[in-house]
Amino acid sequence: MGNQQNSINLVIAGFLIRLFSDSVIELEEGYLPFVVQKEERDADVTMQCFRAIPSLTFQPDELVFEAKNEEQLFYSIYRTGRNFGFIIYDQERFDEIQQVAMLDETFSHWKVYSEATSENNIMPLKYPLGPIVMHYLTLKTNAVMMHASCAFDGKNARIFTGFSGAGKSTMSKMWSAAGNGIVNDDRLIIRKRENGYSVYNTPMYYADIPKVAPLSALYIISHSPENMMKKLTGAMAITKVMAFCIQNNFEKQFIESRLSFFSELCASVPVYELGFVPDESVVKFILENETGGIK
Amino acid sequence: MEIQTLYQLKSKFVAREVGNELILVPLTGNVAQMSELFTLNETAKFIWENSTEKTTVEDMENALTETFAIDRETARKDIENFLRQMEIMFIKKG
Repeated sequence: MGNQQNSINLVIAGFLIRLFSDSVIELEEGYLPFVVQKEERDADVTMQCFRAIPSLTFQPDELVFEAKNEEQLFYSIYRTGRNFGFIIYDQERFDEIQQVAMLDETFSHWKVYSEATSENNIMPLKYPLGPIVMHYLTLKTNAVMMHASCAFDGKNARIFTGFSGAGKSTMSKMWSAAGNGIVNDDRLIIRKRENGYSVYNTPMYYADIPKVAPLSALYIISHSPENMMKKLTGAMAITKVMAFCIQNNFEKQFIESRLSFFSELCASVPVYELGFVPDESVVKFILENETGGIK
Repeated sequence: MEIQTLYQLKSKFVAREVGNELILVPLTGNVAQMSELFTLNETAKFIWENSTEKTTVEDMENALTETFAIDRETARKDIENFLRQMEIMFIKKG
């Protein structure tokens, strides 16, 4: 828990997030490399942060989304007038509320209420609210957040995505061993820029410097007895890639935004289905077989 | 699944046309269903798009035979197969 200030600017994927509070704000270690001291431009997102969670922070009109698995409820989203209310649960003590947050209809202004830390400070971006803030930031911009790893050879950035256990981290290790840089091996933001698509890392639970690389290809990966790849196009490419995008699909406009983004992305960047043997042979196999696919 | 059920399902999905195919994404309040996206081929897309509250299987057979130049038996099999797939994907998973 390094950085402690009442006002903090973060630049993540080129977006400016400005946090401010009457209390001292603490950040998890992974956010520290993304802190910038001076940033004159208007923030893409502001976060007004408060210490303590009032008993009635917002009046919920309707429960619209729950992120949960069989064991745990991670967070709930309520519609409240034209805004959204978030209840974030403690990831270790499941029945305790960790933060309550409000997001306005433009996805630009958050109010975050957090319980005090042992030092009587606040950690408004404590997981999972940090990634949630990033996700809603991508919804107001031409960007998406994905569960994926990304390797960069100095010219081309390749994204590898798939189900949990498909080999995203393994793929990163193979490309790293072959002398390539790794943007991240778990969570990425893709943005459409003037000259194509760029891939960015995001703050993780560990410290890593902000990175960006030009996206050249997307791979849907799975383990296989032998290396094999097939180029995907059209609707198949879009659905396969979009399935691994981080999404809260309770609003029609969210889905339309994602479909539009991935339709353009998959028309511009080649998408491959890749079955691979988890050893160094896959790097050579990809380099030999994607030729002509990379634009 | 009855063909009229398709019409009722439409409001629960967002559709996007890509070439001759149609992508369906479910509106959902559950994170577990977010990776369930569906791709419909040209015939399935036609059935989905032309299903109304009052459409009967016979109506759809007629529409398919006229549009795709196929015989009635093929049209009926296409409809039955599509409805069966929809039932597996949307009803049993839901």
